[in-house]
Amino acid sequence: MNRKVLLAGLVLAGALVFILFAGLGRDPQAIDSPLVGRTAPPFTLREVGTGRAVSLDQLRGRPVVLNFWATWCGPCFEEHPTLVAAARATPNAQFIGVVFQDSEAKIQQFLDERGRAYPTVIDDAGKTAIAYGVGGVPETFFLDATGTIVAKHNGPLTSEVLEAYLSKAAQ
Amino acid sequence: MNATAGRLLILASLLVSTAGALVAFAAGRSRSAYGLKWAQRFAYLFAALMVGATAVMEYALVTHDFSVSYVAQVGSRSTPLWVTMASLWSSLEGSLLFWGCVLGLYVAVATWLTRNAYEEYMPDAIGVWLACAAFFSFLLAGPANPFVLVPAQLDGPGPNPLLQNHLLMVVHPPFLYLGYVGMTIPFGLACAALIKGKLGPSILKPLRESLMLPWVFLTFAIMLGGWWAYEVLGWGGYWAWDPVENASLLPWLTATAALHSIIVVERRRVLKGWTVTLILATFLLVILGTFMTRSGVFNSVHSFTQSPIGPTILAFLAALLVFSIGLLAMRIDRLEVEGNFESAVSREGMMLFNNLLLVVLTFTVLVGTVFPLVVEAIRGRQMSVGRPYFDTMVVPAAALLVFLIGVGPALPWGKTSWKQIRRAVLPPLIGAMVFLMAGFLFGARNPWTLLTIAFGGYAAQVTLWQMRSPFAQVQRSPRRIAAYLVHAGVVIVMIAIAISSTMRYTQEVHVVKGGTATVGAWTITLAGIEQRDEPNRSATVARFVVAKNGVTKTILEPRMNQYERMREPIGTPDVYSTIGGDFYLSVMNIDPAEQSAAVNVIITPLVGWIWGAVILMGLGGLMALVPAFRFAFAGAPRAAALTLARSDGV
Repeated sequence: MNRKVLLAGLVLAGALVFILFAGLGRDPQAIDSPLVGRTAPPFTLREVGTGRAVSLDQLRGRPVVLNFWATWCGPCFEEHPTLVAAARATPNAQFIGVVFQDSEAKIQQFLDERGRAYPTVIDDAGKTAIAYGVGGVPETFFLDATGTIVAKHNGPLTSEVLEAYLSKAAQ
Repeated sequence: MNATAGRLLILASLLVSTAGALVAFAAGRSRSAYGLKWAQRFAYLFAALMVGATAVMEYALVTHDFSVSYVAQVGSRSTPLWVTMASLWSSLEGSLLFWGCVLGLYVAVATWLTRNAYEEYMPDAIGVWLACAAFFSFLLAGPANPFVLVPAQLDGPGPNPLLQNHLLMVVHPPFLYLGYVGMTIPFGLACAALIKGKLGPSILKPLRESLMLPWVFLTFAIMLGGWWAYEVLGWGGYWAWDPVENASLLPWLTATAALHSIIVVERRRVLKGWTVTLILATFLLVILGTFMTRSGVFNSVHSFTQSPIGPTILAFLAALLVFSIGLLAMRIDRLEVEGNFESAVSREGMMLFNNLLLVVLTFTVLVGTVFPLVVEAIRGRQMSVGRPYFDTMVVPAAALLVFLIGVGPALPWGKTSWKQIRRAVLPPLIGAMVFLMAGFLFGARNPWTLLTIAFGGYAAQVTLWQMRSPFAQVQRSPRRIAAYLVHAGVVIVMIAIAISSTMRYTQEVHVVKGGTATVGAWTITLAGIEQRDEPNRSATVARFVVAKNGVTKTILEPRMNQYERMREPIGTPDVYSTIGGDFYLSVMNIDPAEQSAAVNVIITPLVGWIWGAVILMGLGGLMALVPAFRFAFAGAPRAAALTLARSDGV
């Protein structure tokens, strides 16, 4: 038995397998948002239904979940129940839906059919989506109490992922 | 019907390969000739079952049997027949089935060629082959089953549009599989040698030949992939250090090293453990490459999106690593050293140097490929390793390799006097000077390009000088002449890569119908824009008349292909190739309403030489095998004895 070969081989192989294992489940196409760690861009948008102005500045002091979505997006249908349930279960966090490239009538219908638990605002000109660098809906930003973006998620949320991000935002 | 038949064949292949592996290892332990016979029968049966399952899948594809899950996933009534047939390897499950089929054929042919020889090694070798076969049968039976029975639909989406976009894409994957899968055979032989604790002279020939054949295929495959990228992707390049390109290069580097070190084992009886290690590493890198493509961990044009078999392949890789390292640790000291290194400045010294360089290159590329994963695992941050890293690290090593191709064969074997060395090493400097001046006149100014050209000239003179004598005695020494053909190919490839990558000229132009644009000596005129409807796609084609110095040369039609399944169109370039270089048009935008087009004009010198020279390399490799096949058919032991008796290897 050549111990040197065994030891060197196992160390190298172990490191390689560990790195590859850690990489499993990673989405190579996902790119971290450069906004993470920075103050969320401010906005004041009209709430669907009531027409009142909702501004991000009013919401300082507790975690905020900012969900960009649209009624024409399939995965947004999937994640909607998860968001509604989470918003009801965590009253100390403020959820906000931001809809862009959509009509108010369609949004109303969507919310009537699928339930609402938090305000939904409409981003008529898409300026807020541009400020947040939204590439495709759904995308969700998690803000802490000071208004700093702590995480961003691309694609539909599951309840486990949502909870993990929420606890990060609550810290 | 097809789904059930295919499924049964796969399950049978899993049973046969597992049983065969067990029988073979048992026969190896007990040295039973009877057991070996049975192991051989299992090997043939496995091949028959895999070929059968693949035939069932091809039949299902061609007859549009959408009740088979894989056909429902990649089949389409609107694709041409050649695309339908090639759909076998267009997606995850089908390509693994194709892998199984190729593995079956390799195992059957290797078993048959060695049926009356190497009795000492064969049971364990067949055992290792069938154990690998069992893993792939398991993948096909469970995690990547292509034969799931699904509710039949009327039509399917068709394969990945990139596959349909160019004929080269139909040729590249089979060559890659022939290269990748073929490495199983030398791996099995090397493992058998380790298990027996002996790398005798008789096993070297099958080891070398079973490594050479997949090496040839892999060489072609890498070139075809680069050529495809060049012809289809529209950025005018052929190599981007994409993780999956690297995955094909890594085993090629170690296999190239092993092909040289086997010669040193043959001639000097040294480097046995090293050679076996290289062969094991080659197969491990093949499985690593498979993981890279299939796990969804790496971003690449090749990734089979987020496939579920990543963990299974990783487990297989881990098991193979433990097995190989354990085997090496237990047996490497038993591979007795019979000879010794007499001098570093000798043919074998240069081969060892070439081996070290190739291994350093392998590590460099491997580290660059997995480094982003390391950073992400440790620091949780994303990063990417770009071209500059690879170019900075690889270019000097590659230039040095070209130098070794010159200086290695110039030196004699064994101990040499300084006078002999001077006589061998100095004259080719003339070739180096001639090439250097030619390169300078050609316009090359990049120091690395000039160095590569000079080393290339040195190597060219040595290669031609050495070839001169074996040509006269080609009957006696086909292996030598074959090696020099490969070397000549490598030298041309390296010079062409150096020149084409540093002397490329690119310019963006915007042309309206009837208008012209001038780029250097070239003029392009937009003759018109057409809409073409083809069965599987629609295309917007820009017709350009291309002229050089006022003389019309050709018509180029770069286009935007729109496939039903894709949201964005795929831009497809068009190329005018000449011996001196390529004139390449890649569309960025075509506006049919305004009858205008924006194109990227790319002028690249010598790029066509790369494809031609790689074909020369492959043919050289095949030439090294041809007489070998003849001997193998005549009876392996006699052939081995002949080879040893002649002992005129390069």
